[in-house]
Amino acid sequence: MSLEFGRWTLGLDGGTPPGRALIGGKAWSLARMQALGLRVPPAFVVTTRACAACLSEGDWPEGLDAELAAGIAWLEAQTGRRFGHGPSPLLVSVRSGAPVSMPGMMDTVLNLGITDETEAALGAECADAAFARDTHRRFLDLYAHIVLRAGEMVLAAAGEPEDWRRQIAASAGAPVPEGVTVQLQAAVRAVFASWNSRRARRYRQHHNIPDTLGTAVTVQAMVFGNADERSGTGVLFSRNPLTGAAEAYGEYLPRAQGEDVVSGKFTPRPLSVLQARLPEVHERLLAAAGILEEAGRDVQDIEFTIERGRLFLLQSRVAKLAPQAAVRIAVELVGEGVIDEATALQRVTPEQIRLMLSPRLDEAGCLGASVLAQGEGASPGVGIGAVVGSSDEAEQRARGGEAVILARPTTSPEDLHGMIAARAIVTEQGGSTSHAAVVGRALGLPCVVGCGAGSIAALAGRIVTVDGRSGQVFAGALPLAFPDEKDSAALAALTRWAAARSPLRVIAPAEAEACDGCALIDLDGSEAAADPDRIAAALTAALAGRAGVRGARGGAIASERGVRAAIAAGLDFIVADPVLPPLLAAARAAAEGLPNAEHEERV
Amino acid sequence: MSDTHLVLHGLAIKKNGTPEAIADLMGLDAGDVRAVLASLVETQRVVEVQGKYLLAPLARLALDADYARRYGALRADPVFAAGYEGFERINGTLKQVITDWQTIAVGGERVLNPHADEDYDGKIIDRLGALHERAEGILAGLAGVLPRLEVYRDKLTGALEKAEDGDIAWVSDARIESYHTLWFELHEDLLRLMGRERED
Repeated sequence: MSLEFGRWTLGLDGGTPPGRALIGGKAWSLARMQALGLRVPPAFVVTTRACAACLSEGDWPEGLDAELAAGIAWLEAQTGRRFGHGPSPLLVSVRSGAPVSMPGMMDTVLNLGITDETEAALGAECADAAFARDTHRRFLDLYAHIVLRAGEMVLAAAGEPEDWRRQIAASAGAPVPEGVTVQLQAAVRAVFASWNSRRARRYRQHHNIPDTLGTAVTVQAMVFGNADERSGTGVLFSRNPLTGAAEAYGEYLPRAQGEDVVSGKFTPRPLSVLQARLPEVHERLLAAAGILEEAGRDVQDIEFTIERGRLFLLQSRVAKLAPQAAVRIAVELVGEGVIDEATALQRVTPEQIRLMLSPRLDEAGCLGASVLAQGEGASPGVGIGAVVGSSDEAEQRARGGEAVILARPTTSPEDLHGMIAARAIVTEQGGSTSHAAVVGRALGLPCVVGCGAGSIAALAGRIVTVDGRSGQVFAGALPLAFPDEKDSAALAALTRWAAARSPLRVIAPAEAEACDGCALIDLDGSEAAADPDRIAAALTAALAGRAGVRGARGGAIASERGVRAAIAAGLDFIVADPVLPPLLAAARAAAEGLPNAEHEERV
Repeated sequence: MSDTHLVLHGLAIKKNGTPEAIADLMGLDAGDVRAVLASLVETQRVVEVQGKYLLAPLARLALDADYARRYGALRADPVFAAGYEGFERINGTLKQVITDWQTIAVGGERVLNPHADEDYDGKIIDRLGALHERAEGILAGLAGVLPRLEVYRDKLTGALEKAEDGDIAWVSDARIESYHTLWFELHEDLLRLMGRERED
């Protein structure tokens, strides 16, 4: 059992973790890492019991203040630091942790414990006064927005803490309280209050989660990746998330804090930099990745910080993988005996297979092609067509059957009709969050943004090939390569496993041609059947009175909805190219149980 | 504000709009909008294509030149200007949220979000909900000066709640009045009122 400070709080001391319902998801995952023998920054938890008491009695639980103080004293003892004082100040993060992850809960307050006094101490300790000042600013900013719910305001990086406090008081209508203990209590109170936010209440109602459960609060010591030359921060994947290769892959920032990775102030270095500087830490990190992958039976994405040569794991979760990596890893984990075939089929989506097999530029064909413009690739895919400069023209010419590329300085909502009509979008200004990029992705259109002022003049009227992945716009219509599912051993394995579990056969067009006795209907030409939202009804209508029909082709039959409709209609087979996406959808649908009407609604 | 101006303004935001959509967004009666559109078509300031309406090129130029005259007082209003600046500030956050919705980081590269992970998607919708709470404050300030802007708050809340209930197309689908569609229409509306240019 963990260390109890009283009725309301307990320290995560590496003992048998208490239940998730009591300590919440965040603390539970920290405790789980500890139980695997891995080091996390010291933390204690205000349990859901305290929140429930606070909610039911409408009052701060009796004795909680004293227990918070006991928890802080325990963290001080663990870290050798002092809360609110130098020379080595203890800073903590305060985060919500409901038993079930839920929207609307309070965001994390970082660096609580920094004051004018501890800022000076931290600056001296890290030999970096600017870092200490920035830590102070980030704390005030988070505290103001999250706890005090200040309005829109920005604390200028060049300012003084005194100015920031004045600005916050004016915006929030209340000052940041003096004293780190009072700040900690207010942050815990704000987490409790967030349990009753509009979004949290709505979510619980929607998912039948009792309002009385309450949330836990995790208070955790901050570790400093910028403390000295033997410190740093980074992320590690237990396998390469881009290629799927079975080797650790990561990024490391020597002498930096976690926020620096996000801010882009530093350029991340490969893990080999860590290996060269701190070989024993690197080795321990790789071992930790192996342990976490084994425990989770899946590739892990691990955040870590090294403080004065000591490795701390901050978080580990299942990694997001590129499509080809997801396929390779799912198949290799089966080969390694880590997961079974049915689980492998759950790890890969039909959409990922489609992306993997989507047409791309033929590399040989690109050699020597002239690049007319270069920007940022904001939405992948290849589009070929004639460049037009206005949305009205794009729409008119596309209506006439022409393939057009819309090139604009920027786009706005009034360009939507032109964007829908185009095969690709090119802009002069803006980045990956610009309107063109966002709408391009929403429409599934290749998009290149930020080619530079005046760059589209060179494109006007020409036939071009737009590569939304690399951000290049080539002269002329370049040849495309069509990846074949039969060329990949991993895809062949998935195809075999899916076929063994699918209630529906999926056959390639060539095979269907050869099959004389196959009674099948062709859904091409029906507008309803081409729409995944309407295919179920369209299929039922097409099959009415045609008892001998055993299969279908065309329309949206190969989509996930189409596959479910075909299974529900009792068909034996469908015809599709590529075969694997619908086959995978059928196997996954079978694993979920037979599709019913309610499920159709939700998919 | 004259109905004719509001119809033209509505068409600049909702190009290819139906009379009902324009009436809805501008807070006008649909019958009135139909009558205004009919007279605008007659004077060739608006073109009808299959029940949808477009501004004619010259009418667009005339409209663009008209804003400064009509909204001088609004632009000078410190409350409205502060609301607009607040909107521009959180606009960057919105765009980041939508980008994170559409793409996921895989080992430092961004790839399209296959929407296969409900947990990931749920977290983004939660961020959108948090942003919405900030936007509501700003919109309340703007609508205090220009009441018709209230409609955006209702519509944005509606789109958000549909997304929260699991209909994820309401986050950023460009073909419906998704959260993102409405947000960009609101942005376009404000840019025109304030006489500013879109940056990207």
